Amino acid sequence: MKKLVVSRLISSVPLLVLLSLFVFGLINLTPTDPAAQILGVGAGEDAKAAYRHQLGLDRPLHEQFGQWVLGALRGDLGKSWFTAQPVTQMIGDRLGVTLSLALLALVLALLAGVPLGILGALRPGSVPDRILTLAVSLGLAVPGFWLALLLALLFALTLRWFPVVGYTPFTEDPGEWARSLVLPATAMAVHTAAVIARQTRGALVDTLNAPYVQALRSRGIPFRRILLRYAMKNAMIPVLAVIAVQMSVLVGVTFVVERIFALPGIGTLLMDGVVQADMPVLQGTVVVVGALVLLINLITDIAYGVVNPKVRPR
Amino acid sequence: MTTSADITPPEEQQRHGAARRPVRASRLRRPAVLWCAVFLGVLVLVALAAPLLAPYDPLALDIKNKLASPSVAHWLGTDDLGRDVLSRLIYGARTSVVASAEVVAVALLLGVSVGLLVGYLGGLWDRVTMQVVDALQAVPALLLALAMVAVVGNGLVKAMFAVGLVFAVSFMRVTRAVVLAEREQLYVDAARVTGLGRAHIVFRQILPNVAAPLIVQASIAAGTALLIEASLSFLGVGIDTTQVSWGGMLETARQFQSEQPLLPIFPGVAIAVCVLLYNLLGDGLRDAVGVRDPAAGAPARSARTRTRLSVVERRPAEAAPASAPADGTLLSVRGLTVAAGDTELVSDVSFDVRKGETFGLVGESGCGKSVTATAVMGLLPGAVRVTGGSVLLDGRDLVRLGERELQRIRGERIGMVFQDPVAALSPSHTVGHQLGEALMVHKGMTRKQAAARSAELLSLVGVPDARRRLADYPHQFSGGMAQRVVIAAALACEPELLIADEPTTALDVTIQAQVLDLLDDLKRQLSMSVLLITHDLGVVADVCDRVAVMYAGQVVEVGSTEDLLLSPRHPYSEALLAAMPHGAPVERLATIPGRVPPAWDWPSGCRFHPRCPYAVERCGEGRPEIADGARCVRAAELTLKGVR
Ligand code: SF4
Repeated sequence: MKKLVVSRLISSVPLLVLLSLFVFGLINLTPTDPAAQILGVGAGEDAKAAYRHQLGLDRPLHEQFGQWVLGALRGDLGKSWFTAQPVTQMIGDRLGVTLSLALLALVLALLAGVPLGILGALRPGSVPDRILTLAVSLGLAVPGFWLALLLALLFALTLRWFPVVGYTPFTEDPGEWARSLVLPATAMAVHTAAVIARQTRGALVDTLNAPYVQALRSRGIPFRRILLRYAMKNAMIPVLAVIAVQMSVLVGVTFVVERIFALPGIGTLLMDGVVQADMPVLQGTVVVVGALVLLINLITDIAYGVVNPKVRPR
Repeated sequence: MTTSADITPPEEQQRHGAARRPVRASRLRRPAVLWCAVFLGVLVLVALAAPLLAPYDPLALDIKNKLASPSVAHWLGTDDLGRDVLSRLIYGARTSVVASAEVVAVALLLGVSVGLLVGYLGGLWDRVTMQVVDALQAVPALLLALAMVAVVGNGLVKAMFAVGLVFAVSFMRVTRAVVLAEREQLYVDAARVTGLGRAHIVFRQILPNVAAPLIVQASIAAGTALLIEASLSFLGVGIDTTQVSWGGMLETARQFQSEQPLLPIFPGVAIAVCVLLYNLLGDGLRDAVGVRDPAAGAPARSARTRTRLSVVERRPAEAAPASAPADGTLLSVRGLTVAAGDTELVSDVSFDVRKGETFGLVGESGCGKSVTATAVMGLLPGAVRVTGGSVLLDGRDLVRLGERELQRIRGERIGMVFQDPVAALSPSHTVGHQLGEALMVHKGMTRKQAAARSAELLSLVGVPDARRRLADYPHQFSGGMAQRVVIAAALACEPELLIADEPTTALDVTIQAQVLDLLDDLKRQLSMSVLLITHDLGVVADVCDRVAVMYAGQVVEVGSTEDLLLSPRHPYSEALLAAMPHGAPVERLATIPGRVPPAWDWPSGCRFHPRCPYAVERCGEGRPEIADGARCVRAAELTLKGVR
């Protein structure tokens, strides 16, 4: 197990370097001049040159990139061109919001998706199963941010059960923290719940048709016991793979949902970076999100190894 | 999803599952797929004809009329600047169609060409590309599109190009996988030998195979692209202000929804409906072309073989032959008839298994042996039912028992061993866990007691180092050892009857004899009876005391093994025997042409008559009964050859 973790961690380093090189290349392909943007087009050439020097933009590209990577390895992602704040700190401040939102949405999606999937798998083709299939199709099609809008309209603006916008840190008031996340997380969870329900149903139907289920039944093991102790564990193996993908999707969706509820997450930071063409912020965010997704994949792989003995190295 | 209620017998299903399914025109014509295609066609038409259809200029301001509710003039109302919502919806369709088309085009062009290339070149090219692809996939598509916009500036075309890039990854994976698979195919090699150029191979042989999965992918990608376009426009980064987008309309709605709550409804519904259509089209196409969706399980199969474990509706046994079970009989199957819908899989099967004997049930595959065994256990799948007869265990009719009572009999009084031992064990549970389960359920043992007993059982069946191996998983056992484990599990509660369904078929020849010897030993040690199902008369000759020969769902001959081997009374038995001495197991009979007809196609009269070398005219009439141990109208007049 340790070997697996270490080898995966090591192999994710080149991936991250590649990713940052990709973003870096993209950025440098474009003729944006931060000096002109920040100091104004009318600023003197000298001032602009001095500013570019200050940002290190007058050095050769490979040096700039090397500098950035060395910094990144030490946890220093550079400074924002606009606020001069360290990017690492800016991201650190906001990562918690995005992560808690994505995780909460995932938990909600699991709580809804897994039982619904089981329900469908127990009687494939039955009326509840068809209703479920329909609901899953709908859930997959409805855009999360639209749902967020509608939820905000109904529960926040009209019924006033939840705050319309804003975020309360967990450390300040856990109750308010939860209240500020419920609506956005629910809106995000619907799509993921649909994906998970669909996957759970499919995997469980396959599993229940497996010969070993028949074998267990031939030994007089009650169906409920087979379902809970055997079939579920085997059926969750393919579901786990989907969860990894969904986590990455959820992180992406937070960017949009954060905006609706004015939550100070990575998404808002990223949007500012995009609008202002603040390259250090942009590059830092992309790489951190990429690292996050890789980490999630690693965690899922480990979980995968725990449930599926075939891939577990011994 | 599939609602077909047709019941296809197991053999038929397997054949369908295994073969690569061709695209079936009939499936493409299914209403769901057709409707989706029609609606999406309408969407494209609306997009093309937007200027003709829209009642207003989507950008025309009318501040006095802002945030109006639906009226005759503005069917869907107006937005914050008095722009007509309906017109904007119509123009929005244009944007979304363009976005989807661009993403699919970019993804197809890039993905397929790179996929073909690396799949064909292989080696280092392949590995490096896959690394890059992995890196690309670590980024959410939306994020990449945002980065792209930040770098190259606003614009739908640019943003969607980035999204197309991300989707190209999945297109590439699909293409590469197909190419890799096809590379292994003989015909590509053959083509190479005949001197066809690489390009020719790619275009003539690989592209047609990759087309089906790509069409499915494209449909899904189109839907997702629409969602991403809407998200970007909603964030205000995708498009410029002269373009109308459903996502942009939602952004307006966000700001003004407290004043006009209808605003978010229409664009949202438009997005959801379109994505739904793309997805349903993709699903429908996937079913049609038979691409297996890892996410959806096997919808087609699941509808057919229901796994619901409801107590099977059992019709009361028809007047079973009144012959009371002879003394010493443990299991007495009387006139058992099993049907799937209107198709009889097993007709009027009767035989007795006496205490302490090994009884063989023999015949070619597809003759109903396994169905009979499954019916005895009460484990028939939902659509298959016992429609007549009885299964008496010590005089108690199992056919009439409920699931709960059956559970007490399975495992405790009847054990079962299967053909594929590894498949009969859960891959993700230790062997010890699975062995102990029956002990805990039936004997109320604790996990610890069960483990101790399991170790004893494993030693009993000859698994070396039993205690340690309890912690191993099934894939760590060889086929022969796994079969010993399955036998141990079946014997955990010391049943009186062991049903062994082709227990040696999947094993190496050298192991087969060992497992048979083991079964024979255990039978004596535990003084139980064995019902051995096999197609191999050699196995029957080795271990069975008595035997019933089955053909096309019927017992055609029953008697002692010795009688059967030396003086068979049914022409089918003779044919089986004639095939035996050559050592080949009788999956197909070498000596008589043809094979067992499928269940829905059983001939009238003697079911064997189309293949029988002794058939005369009267064989095709009536329904020959079993008389004097053989179901043959000419039994008395024929002298058949046994083993010499
Ligand atoms: S009844 Fe006729 S066809 Fe059937 S086995 Fe006997 S001889 Fe052959």
